[in-house]
Amino acid sequence: MPPESDMAVAQGGSNNSSDFVRKLYKMLEDPAYSEVVRWGNEGDSFVVLENEKFTKTILPKHFKHSNFASFVRQLNKYDFHKVRQNEENGQSPYGHGAWEFKHPEFRADAKNSLDNIRRKAPAPRKAQAPEENYGSNTQVQAMSESLAATQQQVQALQDSYFEMAHANKVFVDEILHLQKLVKSQTQVHEQLLTYLNKVETDRRHGRSSSNHSNHSTPAAYGTGNLMSDGTEEPSVELRRVRELLNSIQGEHIPEKDLRQMSIQFQQIGASPESAGSSSMMGPPNSASINNQFIHDPMNDMRHMVYPVGQTIGIDPFAAEHLGNIPYNRPLSQNAIGPVNDSAGPTMPSVSPPVGGTQGGSPWGLKKPRILLVEDDKTCSRIGSKFLAQYDCGVEVARDGLEAVNKVNTNPNWFDLIFMDIVMPQLDGVSATAMILDAQPRIPIIAMTSNINQQDLEMYFHWGMRDVLAKPFTKDGMIKKLQKHLPGFLRNPPADAVAETMYQNGAPPGQPPTPGPYVNPGPMSLPIPAASTGVAKFDTTPVQSPATSTSWHSPGQIPQQSPNLAHDQAYLNAGSGQVMSLTPGGTQRPFPGSMMPAMGGPPGSRMAESVSASEGPPEKRQRFTYAQ
Amino acid sequence: MADNHDGGDTSLPDLGDAIDSVTFGQILEMDDSEDDREFSKSIVFGFFEQAEETFEKMDEALKGKNLEELSRLGHFLKGSSATLGLTKVKDSCEKIQRYGKKENEDGSPETDEALCLSRIKDTLKTVKAEYTEAETALKTFFGP
Repeated sequence: MPPESDMAVAQGGSNNSSDFVRKLYKMLEDPAYSEVVRWGNEGDSFVVLENEKFTKTILPKHFKHSNFASFVRQLNKYDFHKVRQNEENGQSPYGHGAWEFKHPEFRADAKNSLDNIRRKAPAPRKAQAPEENYGSNTQVQAMSESLAATQQQVQALQDSYFEMAHANKVFVDEILHLQKLVKSQTQVHEQLLTYLNKVETDRRHGRSSSNHSNHSTPAAYGTGNLMSDGTEEPSVELRRVRELLNSIQGEHIPEKDLRQMSIQFQQIGASPESAGSSSMMGPPNSASINNQFIHDPMNDMRHMVYPVGQTIGIDPFAAEHLGNIPYNRPLSQNAIGPVNDSAGPTMPSVSPPVGGTQGGSPWGLKKPRILLVEDDKTCSRIGSKFLAQYDCGVEVARDGLEAVNKVNTNPNWFDLIFMDIVMPQLDGVSATAMILDAQPRIPIIAMTSNINQQDLEMYFHWGMRDVLAKPFTKDGMIKKLQKHLPGFLRNPPADAVAETMYQNGAPPGQPPTPGPYVNPGPMSLPIPAASTGVAKFDTTPVQSPATSTSWHSPGQIPQQSPNLAHDQAYLNAGSGQVMSLTPGGTQRPFPGSMMPAMGGPPGSRMAESVSASEGPPEKRQRFTYAQ
Repeated sequence: MADNHDGGDTSLPDLGDAIDSVTFGQILEMDDSEDDREFSKSIVFGFFEQAEETFEKMDEALKGKNLEELSRLGHFLKGSSATLGLTKVKDSCEKIQRYGKKENEDGSPETDEALCLSRIKDTLKTVKAEYTEAETALKTFFGP
């Protein structure tokens, strides 16, 4: 700082006195400046009257700079203080814009005391300034480091979330495959049993002529009929068994993923600390997990975050951002459907999307296609408008027959069906039964105002997945979509993938309809394997999925019973045959929880009740012939 | 949730107690423009036609003492009136549906067909008046 070092200008006198203070005093002695800077009225302060002139003319002359601010700073260093204007006066006695400075030892009449004016603790002062800078620098640095670390952590969490979702998907695939396998095995068993039965009957037939004596045992129920015309091809069941077994082979994809996953997990376990230090606060394993999962869209996730980092400036969890986050969304649709769907915003599954109407589609890569079956024009128009606004593809059928035709002409086109119950031509329940034959996994939701216990039981009995009470609301409809199409959601709930396991029954633990539907009775109907998970498979007590007792009275069913087409009956017979092993045809020989959970064909439920009580005799007949 | 998005409860018209404003509001919400209200208007006027046709059919079925048909018609109109928020009309339709099924208002069976018919006759009168009230309110709302 030039003023101080300017020792040459210093007058004689005390060496102790500061150069700056002396210069200041000298400046004030010059009467030529009195208009600009002068001693205060009391002589115990000095006043800069005209700031601008002072800065431009006097400062350069005496202090070799023209910076008023640094002059003030200098004053402060010597413990001069600016005199605050008296608030009572409001105005400075020296006029507006005047600067008055004061130091107890700086007086017009006390030049000697100038020596007493010293710099305030100069040494620490000097050090302090850089230190301050240093302090804030490190602070910024530390903050940005911790920010980076947080970002890294969020990223790692994100990655592991997607990995877990992927793993989940693989598991579900595997489970589904196993279920399929079990089903096929069951069919194989049936066929073998039928075959053995036939052999047995043939044997007895050869021995005695009383071939109808077997009719009393249900096991022979079907075969007794078959025997007469089936004997010429004795190995037809065996052939079918072989076909079934063959068809199981070669269609198993998840297994590969599963093996890969297990390898990866082992690798992680082997080197748990290897990458631990790479991320400051991240979970030790995260980095290694990242690298070991080869799935591209997932690893790319790190590039799909906010421009600088996931959390800079924007709260990614705020609902209003979810729709318009500047992500690069993955373009490839390959591999895992539902998991890819979830590759959207950061980790919003924490708070599942509520409205979906706020900015952007609630759906992932694929929008669901909804079939709305409703004879009432007003309802169907409003319903389809609601759905369209929720970004669904919508088609409308005006009665059950049209719905069945639509599904048949384009199987697997629709992802969910809203089904009115009371309709001309073909009622919703019958239509449901027929559609489920062609497309057993599609969720069909009854739309009706008839929601008393008996009605509900019937809907579920015929394979409907849920009930949307009429008059429906947009929210009500959307909730059903979110509940039954979790895989389509861009931000599926955490248990979404797992829930697909239960596609053939009401989702676990939730009553199908809110409100008037209090009695949980029917809930246990479609799926005894209730609540949470796979563990239930072997823990659920054996319970008949459909208590046939409640179906004895046909009067309970206001609608006509579904028309079983011939070929449908044939299809059902596959699994239906099992039932005939036990009297009454209502109990399954294996735990009730298995069938619905493993995608047991609703058709079998249908066949069951047909054989149970209300089916007309000729249908039963057809059913048994269908072997 | 979505109810408060654009149609907002505050901007809901007061259509009197003939129409449930929340239910009707969510249909208004579907309009792309609040100026022409193309969607809701066509829905509502479509409903008018539907309702009037249904009333005619009900009159005929009443003449023919066809309880089953009356029940069916009651159910039919119940659905659309409920969806539009015409609560009173809906309630009356529900009654007609029940009477037609030879039930009392509480769902208990009623063997007296003549009683059912006369109840339907009365209710039909009521529901027509309720419908007219709602129709007037709606037509006023949508303008000519």
